[in-house]
Amino acid sequence: MPRWGMAADLDRCNGCGACVVACHAENNISTVGAGEAARGRAKHWIRVERYWEGDFPDVRVKFRPVLCQHCDNAPCEPVCPTYASHHTEDGLNAQVYNRCIGTRYCANACPYNARFFDFFNPSWDKPLHLQLNPDVSLRMVGVVEKCTFCVQRINAARVQAKAEGRGVRDGEIQPACAQSCPSRALVFGDLDDPESEVSRLSRSPRGSKLLEDTGARPKVTYLARQA
Amino acid sequence: MTHPTGARINNDLIRPLLLTSWRFYLLVVFFGGFVVAGVIAWISQMYYGFGIAGLKWPIYWAFYVTNFVFWIGISHAGTLISAILRLVNAGWRRPVTRCAEVITVFALMIGALFPLIHLGRPWLAFWLFPYPSERLIWPNFRSPLVWDFFAINTYLTGSTLFLLLPMIPDFAVVRDKSTGLRHRIYRVLALGWRGTPKQWHRLESAMQIMAIAIIPVAVSVHTVVSFDFSMAPIPMWNTTIFGPYFVAGAIFSGIAGLLIAMAVLRKFLHLEDYIHPVHFENLGKLLLVMALLWGYFVFNERLVTYYGNGPAEMTVFWQTQRESFAPLYWTMVTCNFVLPVVLMGIRRFRTIAGCVIASFGVILGMWLERFLIIVPSLGHKYLPYSFGSYSPRPAEIVITGATFAAMALLYVLFAKFVPIISIWELKAGEHPSPALIPPATAEHRLGELHL
Amino acid sequence: MDRRSFIKLTAVTGASAALASCGNPENQLIRFVPDEDIVPGIAVWKPGVCPLCAAGCGLTVRVMDADAEVVRNGQLGIVRIAAAKKLEGAPNHPVNRGGLCARGQAAIQITYHPDRITQPLKRAGERGDGRYEAISWDDALGEVVSRLDALEAAGTQRALAFLSRGGAGHRAALIEQFLARFGAPPPLVYELFGDEVLRRANAVSFGREQLPTLDLANARFVLSFGADFLGTWNSPVAQSVAYGAMRQGRPGIRGGFVQVESRMSQTGANADEWIPARPGTEGVLALGLAHVIVAAGLRPASAASRAGALIDGWSDGLQGYAPEQVEKITGVAAARVDRLGRQFAEMRPSVAIVAGPPLAHTNGFFTAVAVNALNALVGNIEQPGGVFFTPQLDLAAALKMKTPVAGAPAPPFRLQPEGDEDDPHIGDAQVLFVDGANPVFTAPRLWRIEQALAKAPYIVSFGSFLDETAVRADLILPDHSFLEAWSGAVPESGATVAVASVAPPVMRPLYQTRATPDVLLDIGRRLRRPLNLPWQTFEEMLAAAFAALPSATRDVDAWTDAQGKGMWSGTLPAGLGRAASLPAPPAARPLAYEAPSFDGDAGEYPFHFLPYPSTTFLDGSLAHLPWLQEMPDPLTSAMWSSWVEINPATAERLGIGQGDVVEIASAHGSVRAAAILTPGIAPDMVAMPAGQGHRTFTRYASGRGSNPVEVIAPVTEPATGALAWAATRVRVTRVGPPDGSLILFAGGMREHPEEHR
Repeated sequence: MPRWGMAADLDRCNGCGACVVACHAENNISTVGAGEAARGRAKHWIRVERYWEGDFPDVRVKFRPVLCQHCDNAPCEPVCPTYASHHTEDGLNAQVYNRCIGTRYCANACPYNARFFDFFNPSWDKPLHLQLNPDVSLRMVGVVEKCTFCVQRINAARVQAKAEGRGVRDGEIQPACAQSCPSRALVFGDLDDPESEVSRLSRSPRGSKLLEDTGARPKVTYLARQA
Repeated sequence: MTHPTGARINNDLIRPLLLTSWRFYLLVVFFGGFVVAGVIAWISQMYYGFGIAGLKWPIYWAFYVTNFVFWIGISHAGTLISAILRLVNAGWRRPVTRCAEVITVFALMIGALFPLIHLGRPWLAFWLFPYPSERLIWPNFRSPLVWDFFAINTYLTGSTLFLLLPMIPDFAVVRDKSTGLRHRIYRVLALGWRGTPKQWHRLESAMQIMAIAIIPVAVSVHTVVSFDFSMAPIPMWNTTIFGPYFVAGAIFSGIAGLLIAMAVLRKFLHLEDYIHPVHFENLGKLLLVMALLWGYFVFNERLVTYYGNGPAEMTVFWQTQRESFAPLYWTMVTCNFVLPVVLMGIRRFRTIAGCVIASFGVILGMWLERFLIIVPSLGHKYLPYSFGSYSPRPAEIVITGATFAAMALLYVLFAKFVPIISIWELKAGEHPSPALIPPATAEHRLGELHL
Repeated sequence: MDRRSFIKLTAVTGASAALASCGNPENQLIRFVPDEDIVPGIAVWKPGVCPLCAAGCGLTVRVMDADAEVVRNGQLGIVRIAAAKKLEGAPNHPVNRGGLCARGQAAIQITYHPDRITQPLKRAGERGDGRYEAISWDDALGEVVSRLDALEAAGTQRALAFLSRGGAGHRAALIEQFLARFGAPPPLVYELFGDEVLRRANAVSFGREQLPTLDLANARFVLSFGADFLGTWNSPVAQSVAYGAMRQGRPGIRGGFVQVESRMSQTGANADEWIPARPGTEGVLALGLAHVIVAAGLRPASAASRAGALIDGWSDGLQGYAPEQVEKITGVAAARVDRLGRQFAEMRPSVAIVAGPPLAHTNGFFTAVAVNALNALVGNIEQPGGVFFTPQLDLAAALKMKTPVAGAPAPPFRLQPEGDEDDPHIGDAQVLFVDGANPVFTAPRLWRIEQALAKAPYIVSFGSFLDETAVRADLILPDHSFLEAWSGAVPESGATVAVASVAPPVMRPLYQTRATPDVLLDIGRRLRRPLNLPWQTFEEMLAAAFAALPSATRDVDAWTDAQGKGMWSGTLPAGLGRAASLPAPPAARPLAYEAPSFDGDAGEYPFHFLPYPSTTFLDGSLAHLPWLQEMPDPLTSAMWSSWVEINPATAERLGIGQGDVVEIASAHGSVRAAAILTPGIAPDMVAMPAGQGHRTFTRYASGRGSNPVEVIAPVTEPATGALAWAATRVRVTRVGPPDGSLILFAGGMREHPEEHR
């Protein structure tokens, strides 16, 4: 069984936000509109965090893409009373929307605030709905949604590989964020394959995990900026 | 003033059941109106979507969960206090126990509604129940919310039994005094009570068993409620002190709730002859003890956090101590500590009025305490980019208000249909008259309890 | 049921519950994710061309079945269509190499936009009030043709004006041919944040009137003067791809990056060193570095050859640009100038980039030429890690369209009220075609575009949306979306080889729209004196253009090959390239630094005003896409909002708090927006993103925020006549407390707030 993970090179990431929109496009994430956004209901499964450092004129900015870290020891999983949030065999932290009753406990327990609640039934002004990806289920009001590592792409690649009688090749699966990233800051792959690009990057001396001390054992490795 | 005799007790305590004044209807309409508003708000929330509440990313718990913890906390007064007083056989408890126990049952009922109100999809709440399903999916027994489900159900069942058992002889009294439909209803409720020695013996044994069993249940319930928070790796939540801290806070707010209920009953049902200043005095002292205990827990929690100086914890710590939540925080400290310690610590202020003022303060303070445990931590969880602030919207305010009205309404209805003071216990306990014993004499103070 | 069996049942239930919880209950859940036995939908990937900017990124478009509500013959029905689902960067495209920016990802929402114009419309109300009535294509084209025939009859063909969004692709070539054959002036291209100054400077410095392609991937030191090359400028995806490689693509080598600008852009936010220089003095800093390099003997001044010779005093080692002088002018410490100069010369290959605000001053041309000279000094022109110029396909040559019409080309129309008197003003046009441009929104108010348009008797818009310019049109002939039509592009930059992109339609049109190139061809045929363009359709024209190219794959002709791949790239055969070296107009005299002049008195208007292209909306043409509206701005995290960036010290002095409503007023206009206090801006400057403030532009953008262009003074860069959009001074006043219009996604600004006290 593979163990899917990601490496985010903060030296490559320049904060452009392509991943944010790519994720909306791939995963049927609805826009909530200005009024709801003002009330804090915008949903961005991946966000590029921006932190200012220093003061004018010696000022710098740190960008950091944050998405569900698909923790090996995910705090969101044990707290869900209905198993809506659970671990799959290949290490994904899956969210079963049908099973979610909306306690939002998982979203609270998530140290990364990577989970988003649907406050209203997501809607699309027609015909924007024609763009919806049929491989990704729509969510309904009252459930929690989050990054899936584009599980639909993982499964599609797995089906394809099986049909061709081979294993999934490294680099064959690209979540929408990694696919769109112009500077190639995001690399996805199998952490259990020591030869994979993501394994290699995860072993980098620049690598570290976000909020390691919460003990969640996240599967996204951040490679530090060098200067 | 005459000594209340057996007949007088019956008369005083059953009269509210048999005679209905316009005031009763007014109160029912008044409180019922708020409850209806709350129900409308809840239905709107389901109809239009949860978004009409003020919750937002990343503060996904706020008013509703605050209310949940608050009401479960209030529920700790009755049964727990009543059980302890029964076990130590404190004579002064007799007029107080029932109105305390009923607080527990109603507060639990209201509190247990909030996990439903706060659900994104409340119509699927039955998935929390461990029922055998076709696909063999059980609830996740690792989730503190499922523990909550069991803990609250156990406590609700236990305290309902604890309330109902001693009501049987009183129902029999009402049965014997009433006619018509009322007679038939109370005959059913009295469960064939004839007052035989065997029945009395069984009742006494059952009460003894219940009194012992309910104490650990009560303690565990609020510990389990505190697990909702302390089990999650969130700054200022993930702490071992939450269990006892929550239990102490629960008893604290419960006593305050009981004091208010007693004062109201005494005033409106003219029970001055039954509920005496000494009851307030004694419970006031208990309130003082709990205020000090609460102060100790808060100090302990804060000091440990401050000394530990974890960056994530300190962010939340300063939010409450001196930043956006500071006004609420210091209001809470004033209400929960300064006010009750001053009013209950100085004998001159330990009057009925003083108790009521202190209790209102504690109710407000304890509500704020729960709010301040939940919201600042969620709003300042590790990554500053995702920090947020919260303010309630009408749905939450109306529903919160409605629960207080619901409590009042249930209480009014209860007092209408059940003798609010246990008649047989009162008779059995040689109720002393205030004319003979001045209020708050030495032997009636807590010191006399021979604990 | 007796008591015993009840207890037994309870025990069994409890035990099985306990056992079940020990197992793996997840297996019993039906996942939302299709498992292996659930076949994912069948998708087809087709090539596409991103239409949003001139970069011309290649797309692969995911197409799947979808049920669309379609009106056919007045009947509403559900039709199974092949619908585009997702845009991704084409992995083999030499420009974007698989990447795609946020805007490109959102382009698909143009096709499915709920407020798209679905059929030809004829004005039914007053101009600008947006009331239109349906008209058939035949009637609509008949109207246009009769208007053009009338011009022809009167001999006033020159009164046909064509306002376009520019770009050098096939569509632009067709428009040029159309106009030339009709006898009208060439199209008027207006872009608020255009690059005319840089193109002109490159022409004089390097003989290439073209935007540069930067080989960042191989550079070791990148020095950017105000260029937002990772966000909005030139070919941002190509540049981002290269930037990633520059940072971490080479074992053991990490390219350094310094940004010079006085308001931190998304690009500047990634710099190792961020240097705020005084606005308009960037060229002096560049020459300061050149001085250091020459003075330290790191490179001979002659290395800069022609590019250097354009600068006054170059051959003497730039005596006037010693670090101390540079410090006085730019505010950058002399020691820093010295260090940067040495770094630039020693960490080779190094490259300097200039674009954006530094060129939007009255001395922008000088600044561009100065930076060009600095590049030339270190010898990085057409060298690995340096500045390249993409070989340009000459479409006219490929299409065998030599100077098509006899006689000298007519001078183009102008938008500016004042200017060369020989050039006709847009207000003098008898018939005005508008294709994609929206000058009512993007041109300074003093240019009085609205009044000029009011004078034009007949305006035809090809746009898909009712924006501020289209709403003044008498006739709207809506274009297909880029996914429904043939599209082509000839990227000006972004690759070191010549590129031409093409893509067949990926889906059938949703509405009664027609591709504008085909409409133009149709009009050309219908005229009383037909234009005799050699193609019946745009597809034929594209085929002709690609047929002239050598095929990249054996046994397949170039046209078929390009359609499959979505592009052609390679070496241009002789005769098809734009003249490799345009004879540059030699500068009349060497350029010397002149202090930039600003509109507005420094006493009354104490702040520099910097409008900048928004990362999400560019100049505002993308404000109608909800994904982009809701995407948090990279630096402020603002969504659905307008804002003004102010230095915290300045804000404190003016009593302005975060989110307060402030008024920005120049001598020419004022706007109000919420204040954002940010450390990434000079204390004497305020900045505001363009893009919001649309009066009419679909439900998502109309009436939202404010438009900084309202404030801009009509100052131009004298060498090119381009708008100097950064040359306005303003005053800033607090109007009131936060009004809720500022919507931020982020809570905190700093990662360790407690350390910042």
